[in-house]
Amino acid sequence: MRGSEDVPTIDGAKVRKVVVACDAGMGSSVLVASQLAAALARYSVSVRHASVTEIPADADVVLCQEALVVRTSRVVPDKPVLGFRLFLGDPLFARLEQAIRNGVPLAG
Amino acid sequence: MTAPPDAADRTARPLVDRVRIDRIRAAAQGFGGNLAAMVLPNIGAFIAWGLLTALFTPTGWLPNPTLAALAKPTITYLLPVLVGASGGRLVHGQRGAVVGAVATIGLAVGTDVPVFFGAMLVGPLAAWLLREIDRALGARVRPGFRMLVDNYSCGVLGGMLAVAGMLVVGPAVEAVTLWLGNGVQLLVDRQVLPLAAALIEPAKVLFLNNAVNHGVLGPIGAAQAAEHGKAIEFLMETNPGPGLGVLLACLLFGPRSMRPTAPGAIVIHFLGGIHEIYFPYVLARPRLVLAAIAGGAAGIVMSVITDAGTVATPSPGSILAVLAVTPKGGYLGVLTAVAVAAVTSFAVGSALLGLGRADRETADAGRRAADAGE
Repeated sequence: MRGSEDVPTIDGAKVRKVVVACDAGMGSSVLVASQLAAALARYSVSVRHASVTEIPADADVVLCQEALVVRTSRVVPDKPVLGFRLFLGDPLFARLEQAIRNGVPLAG
Repeated sequence: MTAPPDAADRTARPLVDRVRIDRIRAAAQGFGGNLAAMVLPNIGAFIAWGLLTALFTPTGWLPNPTLAALAKPTITYLLPVLVGASGGRLVHGQRGAVVGAVATIGLAVGTDVPVFFGAMLVGPLAAWLLREIDRALGARVRPGFRMLVDNYSCGVLGGMLAVAGMLVVGPAVEAVTLWLGNGVQLLVDRQVLPLAAALIEPAKVLFLNNAVNHGVLGPIGAAQAAEHGKAIEFLMETNPGPGLGVLLACLLFGPRSMRPTAPGAIVIHFLGGIHEIYFPYVLARPRLVLAAIAGGAAGIVMSVITDAGTVATPSPGSILAVLAVTPKGGYLGVLTAVAVAAVTSFAVGSALLGLGRADRETADAGRRAADAGE
């Protein structure tokens, strides 16, 4: 487990590429990524989907269901990994958009 | 901010336990994810084989002996080789895929059953051996000889592994595959197969759904389907009935916070086949896993009674995909299995949510009293 000091963090204003990860990288991640892509397009932030094991190296922030956060953090220990609970309308999606708009740090 | 719905369940467990559970779960997801990652990229080929079987075999829609000849080599050779190649690719890229495929063909030729478990073992193993050889030779080979060495190390290792697979590993894998198939048949005969739902449904909501379906049930089912034309194993995890029942129960009786998203989730789950969408509802009210287990078990009972099965893995687990791989004459059994699973999990889920309301109100009252005391 990581200590609270070395949690990867990024300034929301610097986020250019968000990756949504799921086990297969084909189903639920596509669902979430398409919702987020529409919301984040106006900040010129791209949103991609991927399987947990094939997260692109240039991802700034990784999102996944909270049950997959521990596994995902092991795969990309250097990137902020944010867990959401619901695939539809999770509060994290609004928080992410806000952080990107207002330049709030994202850590996870 | 309101407390997350499962706050009470979480604080009930000691923290250390939580960390250990997280770690075990991540390890299981990682291992299972690797199994699924060898099968999932090849699902299109599995579907092609399922459709060829459903159409052209003697009991199919368009019986045609010439075209039916495609079915057996596809399941015996092509599909295991694809799985072995994907397994090799996970370990060592394209070279791993090639040597994994060559090693797998040895297994496939050495047996009479589809060697999926063997391919999942031999593909990555062959790629790992090649990676070790590449590392050992790496610095010593001069650039001009690189291509020669690379091609021949891969070819020689692949050839040797194919021979070993055909003579040694193949027969062992055949024994294990037959043993697993017989094991499932034994469970069917003893009428305890529905108990499998008690393992499958909790594993699903921990996001081990692909691991269970593509890593375990699919390979067993493929061996069964090659022999009998259809397999109940393909339906056990992919039946969208239990999840539909859970979501309907949440829609009508769930906490207020769940209800607005439930209709969309129902469409995405039942028609889109993305089962993941209902897992958070179960994780937020863990007792709902009992509803999923009851639904899953009821679906398996119905499948056994009606001898229901599909010709390939419905992937994703959408009702449309399920019907697409249902064999001719099998619709009644499959639809009954889905409907009974949905009704059962809905009934149990509704009871659990309704019964839960009383406890929850008491707990909330207790918490409020405690807060007031602070």
